[in-house]
Amino acid sequence: MLNVIRLVWFDLKQELRPPVWIVMEWFTFTIQLFIYGALISQLVNAPEVGNYQQFYAVGFIVMMTFEVGSHTGRHFVEHAHEGLLPYFLSLPISRARLFLAITLQGGAELTLMIGVPLAITLAMIGNLTVISIAAAVATLFCLGFGVAGLMLGLSFIAFKSSDMYTAIVTGLSTIMVRFSTVLYPLIFLPPNYRTVAIMSPLTYGSDLVRLFLGFDPSILLNPTYAVAVLVALAVSTLGLGMLLLQRLVEGVKSG
Amino acid sequence: MYAVETQSLIKRYGKAYALKGLNFTVNPEEIMVLLGPNGSGKTTLLLTLATVLKPTSGTAKVMGLNVAKQPTQVRQILGISFQDARGFWRHRPAEILEFHAAMCGIKKTESKPMIEETLKNLELWDARNKLFMHLSGGQAKRLEVAKLLIQRPQFAIFDEPSSQVDLRGKRTIWEHILRLREKGSTILVATNEVREAEYLADRVTILDQGQCIVCDTVQNLKDKITGGDIVELELEQAENNADFQEELGKIQGTAKIMPTTNNKYKAYVSIGEAWVPKMTNLCYERNVRVLSVRVTEPSLDDVFMSFTGKKLETDTNA
Repeated sequence: MLNVIRLVWFDLKQELRPPVWIVMEWFTFTIQLFIYGALISQLVNAPEVGNYQQFYAVGFIVMMTFEVGSHTGRHFVEHAHEGLLPYFLSLPISRARLFLAITLQGGAELTLMIGVPLAITLAMIGNLTVISIAAAVATLFCLGFGVAGLMLGLSFIAFKSSDMYTAIVTGLSTIMVRFSTVLYPLIFLPPNYRTVAIMSPLTYGSDLVRLFLGFDPSILLNPTYAVAVLVALAVSTLGLGMLLLQRLVEGVKSG
Repeated sequence: MYAVETQSLIKRYGKAYALKGLNFTVNPEEIMVLLGPNGSGKTTLLLTLATVLKPTSGTAKVMGLNVAKQPTQVRQILGISFQDARGFWRHRPAEILEFHAAMCGIKKTESKPMIEETLKNLELWDARNKLFMHLSGGQAKRLEVAKLLIQRPQFAIFDEPSSQVDLRGKRTIWEHILRLREKGSTILVATNEVREAEYLADRVTILDQGQCIVCDTVQNLKDKITGGDIVELELEQAENNADFQEELGKIQGTAKIMPTTNNKYKAYVSIGEAWVPKMTNLCYERNVRVLSVRVTEPSLDDVFMSFTGKKLETDTNA
């Protein structure tokens, strides 16, 4: 297990030199929340939503979570192309532990990236219990792992064509973020839009986090359903990623 | 037991075969050099043995462990120095080596002096605090080699260990690879540099298009070339007797005799050391005085040419 932690830290150190991008993400969040979020909340007048700035803050954190999850997949592809993946594959640890390290590295990155925005959001919402905060954080991690697993699964495309991978991931990201409830509650969505939004994992992630943070349950999805979808997503996509690492990555040319 | 053994090893990328039923062995504590041009399957073989790639079919064993069935155990006894040292962009040489040593289970108290010594030996000490992305190609390559010198694995794999390194640096790397073998490691080196192969090899395997063409010691491989040794013979006086050249041609192992001037001959022979005494006997019997004899051995490039009909691509730094 020590080697897994070493691997996570070694890779994370690379990401943190310099840590500008993380600080920039926090900065972007602050600007979005306190300028765009504050202004747009004055235009939204829906009693079911309550304070839209808070609704928007949660949505933005979910988008950041999605971004980190996607980054984990891209990071894996970069490792393959830059030659670090063959090195990792040659280290004296099992493939399962290597995969665990890649996943935990994504988790560590997620913690770093959303730590400050989440603290700001929680402070803004206020009146929260430790349990509700822990449940919201667990939901974000579950979503992050699910998206990371999905992107790791798709990363195999990059071994054939990195252009195709970039195009697919960009297209998928656009659809998954825009056609979801990260920025708008489900009950206000037109029926066609709603049908598509229900297929996005971000819908389940954002609605469940909002539920734990005290938003009105009547504007959100059924939480049991959301938990089931998110857990299924994380388990299935991470399983797929593990399978790809074991079966496919070792069979293709990279670097 | 062989340190490494492959049987009918096949590795295919789509429809293209990188290894075509390769049978190959390495003895314990031996330096085996894989010689072959780019695309001959050298790197694929190394990556398969290192469990980075899975074989399509056939078997490959390292110290008796099957690389497909016991990959984690195999990785615990081997180390690989890759052809391209890349990907550590924002790390420093010392911390890359510390990480590698720790991953290989070497205690910090043990690894620290070894890292310092290796960095100094490979002339990387002054660059120890530079980020990897600021290292020169030669420095990055030496760092890649340093990982194995610190790890001291039971089975060490070097993929073109001195490419991009200057001549002095090459010698240093070769010396350290030889020392690693003295400490008990079995070593497999892939190269397309003739000088590197001649310097390091106990045995050489010539690979071409994913197949083993021939495997033997450097000397035996050279001796296998018919007419590979060139003996330049200078007589004190011109030998007018016409049958002298014919007599030279009849000496066992002679491929061709060519007079270059009226008292100089060039003989293409199989084994120069065996041919020269016979030639001197002949000269003694015929009362012909020899002024000088010069024997030139074929290079491994000639050996490769002889077995494959192709020239090796060689590094101009060599």
